[in-house]
Amino acid sequence: MMPLVVAPVGEEQMIKRIGGNEEAKRHLQELGFVPGGYITVVNEIGGNLIVNVKESRVAVDKQLAQKIFV
Amino acid sequence: MGIRIALAGNPNCGKTTLFNALTGSNQFVGNWPGVTVEYKEGKYKGDKEVTIVDLPGIYSLSPYTLEEVVSRNYLIDEKPNAIINVIDGTNLERNLYLTTQVVELGIPVVIAINMMDVVEKNGDKINTKRLAEEIGVPVFEISALKNRGLKEIVDAGVKAAKEAKPQSPKHRFDGSVEHALAHIEELCLHNVSDENVQRWYSIKLFERDEKIQEKLGLSSDVISHIEQDIQSCEKEMDDDSESIITGERYNYIGTIIDGCVKKAAKGMTISDKIDQVVTNRFLALPIFAIVMWLVYYISVTTVGGWATDWANDGVFGDGWHLFAIGSSDYADAADEFAANQLIVDGYDVYVEENGTEPTGDFDYPVEDEETLEVSYETASLEDYEAAKAYVESTEEPDPADYGIWIPGVPVFVESALDAINCNDVVKSLVLDGIVAGVGAVLGFVPQILILFIFLAFLESCGYMARVAFIMDRIFRKFGLSGKSFIPMLIGTGCGIPGIMASRTIENDRDRKMTIMTTTFIPCGAKLPFIAMVAGAIFGGASWVAPSAYFLGIFAIIVSGIMLKKTKLFAGDPAPFVMELPAYHWPTVGNVLRSMWERGWSFIKKAGTIILLSTIVIWFLTFFGFVDGAFTMLEEDQIDHSILAMLGKCLAWIFIPLGFGDWEATVASITGLVAKENIVGTLGIIYGASGDVYATMAQAFTAASGFAFLAFNLLCAPCFAAMGAIKREMNNTKWFWTAIGYQCGFAWIIGLIVYQVGKVFTGEGFTFGTIFGIAAICALLYGLFRKDKYNK
Repeated sequence: MMPLVVAPVGEEQMIKRIGGNEEAKRHLQELGFVPGGYITVVNEIGGNLIVNVKESRVAVDKQLAQKIFV
Repeated sequence: MGIRIALAGNPNCGKTTLFNALTGSNQFVGNWPGVTVEYKEGKYKGDKEVTIVDLPGIYSLSPYTLEEVVSRNYLIDEKPNAIINVIDGTNLERNLYLTTQVVELGIPVVIAINMMDVVEKNGDKINTKRLAEEIGVPVFEISALKNRGLKEIVDAGVKAAKEAKPQSPKHRFDGSVEHALAHIEELCLHNVSDENVQRWYSIKLFERDEKIQEKLGLSSDVISHIEQDIQSCEKEMDDDSESIITGERYNYIGTIIDGCVKKAAKGMTISDKIDQVVTNRFLALPIFAIVMWLVYYISVTTVGGWATDWANDGVFGDGWHLFAIGSSDYADAADEFAANQLIVDGYDVYVEENGTEPTGDFDYPVEDEETLEVSYETASLEDYEAAKAYVESTEEPDPADYGIWIPGVPVFVESALDAINCNDVVKSLVLDGIVAGVGAVLGFVPQILILFIFLAFLESCGYMARVAFIMDRIFRKFGLSGKSFIPMLIGTGCGIPGIMASRTIENDRDRKMTIMTTTFIPCGAKLPFIAMVAGAIFGGASWVAPSAYFLGIFAIIVSGIMLKKTKLFAGDPAPFVMELPAYHWPTVGNVLRSMWERGWSFIKKAGTIILLSTIVIWFLTFFGFVDGAFTMLEEDQIDHSILAMLGKCLAWIFIPLGFGDWEATVASITGLVAKENIVGTLGIIYGASGDVYATMAQAFTAASGFAFLAFNLLCAPCFAAMGAIKREMNNTKWFWTAIGYQCGFAWIIGLIVYQVGKVFTGEGFTFGTIFGIAAICALLYGLFRKDKYNK
């Protein structure tokens, strides 16, 4: 298990766990970040990520990306 | 009987496009009561009995964002007759998540799978018939952009509304969840009158939704009882209740999607390819800079500049040539005539002053129209003879001879008022008060509209979301969002569209912070004033203008950091997560409509609050006591006006800033109507003795002059911009907080500039310097104190 920040770009990963506070977690889940779902890092700028999850593209900042484990 | 149909769906699912296509121009746009979330309602084009309500784009019906609360309150309390759930066909799975919640509300639902054109182009197949069976809701394929399937979807919605058969969800959760839900229902929902919503309520109670607990008026007894059910379920499933429900919903969606959707082999989409370039680690910033430069260049400098000149000098000035035909010829002729006339006048002045005719070269003054700066040119006697001959032989050019001349509004209104022999007071009120004041504001409308076209385009094509991502790292440091950059950039042209552009910032705190700080950046109207101060007080020094921009940027950064630590903006910074919609080419209609909606709300503002305030300022400026009698004043009697009296009463406020005289105070007040008025007012006040710049140079020292400049650049903006702040804040308390902060901050910066500046300009260390240093310390404290409201 590793935080999403260090995941290689362009490879599909399965989400294992989502940490962080309730609010952030909830919002992530609404956007389709659920354990068991798949996620691909598309691009990275200074730790901030653009990912593909459930067919949509979502931008997450570094702090949040550290709490998504794949 | 009227039928109300609500459109519900995720952000970026094409809901607004669908709404526009269904309602055309029969729209009402407002705000939901008490919040800045937009409210849109319209009559269906095909049947005026059908009202369509566009709900804000939401990902779920949980109560955590304003949009969600607004949407679900509307759905539960107002009970529309039917819901059209708009779904982005290219992203079924995520979009269906909201669907699983919408069908629990007991209101008839039909599903519109939008963007079918894109789905087909991608080669994907959606089995809508099967999907409809699985969810238990009619499903239609549409494309709002291509006008496909729109009649069918509304017809289905109307049919569902007429049948009024309550929707009940087909999906069931895991056994232990259902067990808990049944318990909750039995325990406290038997008296909810509408049994169709019972399931939804019980799920929300299971998720510990406090708003629903409140709404149902549950006693703490019942709540703790429910809590037991929830906890035992949580224990069994080893997760918190909300995650359980979310997970269950996605599981359910997963099972139906497998059977209904066939995806073509996936390659890189066009959006992926664009994003690889546009959000590339190295290219992102350069591309961003180019895009912003283009927006700025076109909408502020070139096209926008022409538009503003046309509106200010043409429509609200003397007049203009139709299609600009003949304008440049006229301008050349007028310039030549004016230049010659100046020489002739200069000669006459010389004769008058010296009593004799000049025997050789003589100097004559040339005044700059905008900044009132006077410079001297030298003419020889031959020049004079040539100029005299020219002036005598030619008539002053008449614009009407050079093309089709359309007189400006003031000219037109003046002749109309003269024609009916209007009373002088009324005439002055209309011309100097209303037309001049409102005109100054409306003059910016063309430029604003051009800016809004760009904004609407950047927003609807999908680039704006990327901008937020790219700039977020930088702006986050001082309490702003990545999207704050756009309002500030636009603010260099005019603060009003800048403030209005802050609408694109979703986070409430970031938006308020942006609204409060955007007008620190010098706008176009402040430029003549900056030039005047530079010319009159600093001898035209070239560092003054750039320093105004640095001052603005400094004010934004300092304010951002300080305000972030106050109670007003307390709370953890919102984590940055946002969907980046797929790029697409927006339709002309949607861009124009978005431009017009924003532009129109600005024009309405000019018609109300700005109109009133300009009338008040007009009254204060043009009425006063001359020799003990209250009377209307001529323009050059401004020193007798009520405004001057007011200025004398208020001048003490500015004594610590070094410009505590009524002239500077009055100029600052008239600057509230429009910042370029400061130049005009100072021109009248200081102009009585001849040379405006020389008089002004005597009135100010370097320190007090720069303090005067700094205060007027940073204090409350013009009435129009204040109106925009009021509207965007949508809250009186926040409005006054913003204005109060701006004025207070401006005063403190002015104090520091004057008191500390005095030391460096050779006036030495005085008692006041202590206050200046104290103010600096206060700022430093504000910047570096511990942030006790955030972690």
